[in-house]
Amino acid sequence: MKARQGRFVRVLVGFLLVYAALVLVTLGLFFDRFSMTLLPDVPPVEIVNQSLVAAFITLFFLRFLLQKTPRMKVVPYLHLPIQQHRLVTFFQTASLLSVHNIYPLFFFIPFWMRFVVAGDSIEGNLMWIGAIILLILSSHFANLLIRGILRRQVGLFYLLITILIGTAYIDEVAGVGLQQRMSGFMFSDLLSGSATSLVLFLAWAFFVMVASTFHLARSLSDPEGEHGEKLPDAHSFQVPDEWGILGHLVRSELLLMWRNRRPRHYLLLSIFFSTFYLVLMLSSGDVFGGVAFPALLGLFASGGFALNYGQLMFCWDAANYQALITRNIAFHTMVRAKLIVLRTSCLLLFLLSLPLFIALRPDLVALHTAFLFYNVGITSALIMELATRNKQRLDVTQGGGFFNFEGISARHMLWIIPTALPPVLFLQAMHESPDLGLTILALIGLGSLIFTEPLTRYFARGLRIRKHTMVEGFTVHAR
Amino acid sequence: MHVEFNGVAKTFGSKRALDIPSWILENGDVVGLVGSNGAGKTTFLRILLDLVHADRGQVLFNGKDVRRQSRWRAQTGAFLDRSFLIDYLTIPEYLDFVGATFGLTRKQTSEALEPFASFLPLSKVDRRRLIRDLSTGNAKKVGILAALFITPKLIVLDEPFANLDPPSQMHLKQILSELAADPERSMIISSHDLGHVTEVCGRITLLHAGEIQKDLQTNTDTLAQLHAWFKEEGVVSAT
Repeated sequence: MKARQGRFVRVLVGFLLVYAALVLVTLGLFFDRFSMTLLPDVPPVEIVNQSLVAAFITLFFLRFLLQKTPRMKVVPYLHLPIQQHRLVTFFQTASLLSVHNIYPLFFFIPFWMRFVVAGDSIEGNLMWIGAIILLILSSHFANLLIRGILRRQVGLFYLLITILIGTAYIDEVAGVGLQQRMSGFMFSDLLSGSATSLVLFLAWAFFVMVASTFHLARSLSDPEGEHGEKLPDAHSFQVPDEWGILGHLVRSELLLMWRNRRPRHYLLLSIFFSTFYLVLMLSSGDVFGGVAFPALLGLFASGGFALNYGQLMFCWDAANYQALITRNIAFHTMVRAKLIVLRTSCLLLFLLSLPLFIALRPDLVALHTAFLFYNVGITSALIMELATRNKQRLDVTQGGGFFNFEGISARHMLWIIPTALPPVLFLQAMHESPDLGLTILALIGLGSLIFTEPLTRYFARGLRIRKHTMVEGFTVHAR
Repeated sequence: MHVEFNGVAKTFGSKRALDIPSWILENGDVVGLVGSNGAGKTTFLRILLDLVHADRGQVLFNGKDVRRQSRWRAQTGAFLDRSFLIDYLTIPEYLDFVGATFGLTRKQTSEALEPFASFLPLSKVDRRRLIRDLSTGNAKKVGILAALFITPKLIVLDEPFANLDPPSQMHLKQILSELAADPERSMIISSHDLGHVTEVCGRITLLHAGEIQKDLQTNTDTLAQLHAWFKEEGVVSAT
């Protein structure tokens, strides 16, 4: 069964990768059709030129969240009689074969061939694509360098990137468009045959490549935690004693998701979806018409975290599950704590994304609110049903980036059908009375809260019944 | 407190891991569980703690099957390996968590830990360091401390002396001896260190290939008897 699930996931991932590549190639080749709907009077090359800086900053943010550094790959080879600089060079070079470097080319090369090469200056055309490649390389090595430097100060990075994106947003909203003009100027300059920007890009790429390579080599000869280097402080918070073990379980869940890479990635990506990505979705106006798309948007805007993180609950505890079940903790209390976390996450994401709905799509505020209740009542329960059936150990210290499907089976992929399909179909059926449909949806969600206690008992019973198979599954990789 | 193994058997694939027709732990018993690698010691403890489902038989805690009720967990402190820790917590966070499972406030937890200060001086540990960043020995001390400070009726420890430095081993022996003085408390300590285990435990259960070979009260000859048995068993195994 496991092998079949693994094959299914691999086939699905393969399909999604090919599909994404085809989408990018198509977008590159037929960008004019897309740009015509947004800015009909501006040539495609100009639109892309003006957006490149913003695009690369956004891609860098995703890269920082998801891309791994080669450091841990080098470590197992250090004892071999191979010179360290050869290892560093090899793994730095090998790290270039990353989806973050390859996938942008699926868009840029077809776009370049179709729209840029048509221009007059051959040198300019070559310098343009050269600059794109240099920017991808710079982004790659800058990520390795910054991750290496900030590995103990991730909070600082998030602060800096937030300031950067915030500044860009203000620049855009205030109508200054400085980064757009700067981006447009640099790439138009290249197309006209001037090499000034290319030299700048080249110098920057060379600098970050050398600096990241040097930093990697240095970090290998001075391993973390040694030579008096201080380990990061564990920021913590207390819960009142009166909350008892329930409060401690909720606190542990929060600390788990913040102190371990993969759950933290899920958390940050959910916040990313409910803010920046949501802006794009909501700004697209009626491009995505019908009922299904707004319904899915409503489902994920407040329930994104519950859906992503929640379905792997208990797997997150795999490494310390025995610490929980041999202690004086009732399964009922464990389920309650997790339900509190899931439901609270829906409320918090709802509040976080509410201003965006109010500002960009006030007509969808009612839908957003209805889905809050639906997610709190129904989605959380469906997710808990899935979570209590998990029995595969997860390495929470690994990132949650692309291709990390550890612990995700066909069931997890297909769970979206019973979770998302009923509300979408229901709203479709009620499309002539949308307000009534949303009210019923909200009432169903709210009403299901009455069944919290019997549901909690049901989930606790499931955990009790599957206790031994879960322990076996959670410890199988640890032996 | 009374623990009873009744016809407990477990196989992994075709390998028999445990076959215990009968074994009883009475109130106040301090049992050392010894045996070679693969003798079934850890399986024995894991079945006792209801982490492994026995193929047949049952473990009774005060007359109740450990699989059918969970009240035994309120009276048991156990540490088998690192998976008994919550490694993304700091030491104080983890100990507070364990205290809370027994209804203790942070202050009460802190007071309950005081008698164990010689074993793990919390005033000297880095309170902000996560358990996963601790050395094997220090992590083990945290696990043992978490099993002991709640002063349970039943203490279950797997290889508690391994990876500990000599002073910590001495402190632990002293603590276990003091805890064993309570006639209401029982202990099961699995160990390869025959010296330590015969020093601390009043009774030794020797496992071999999943079966109980010997179950004897400790006396001045026990250590020599065990050495002789292991020497002979080693020769037999080698041939």
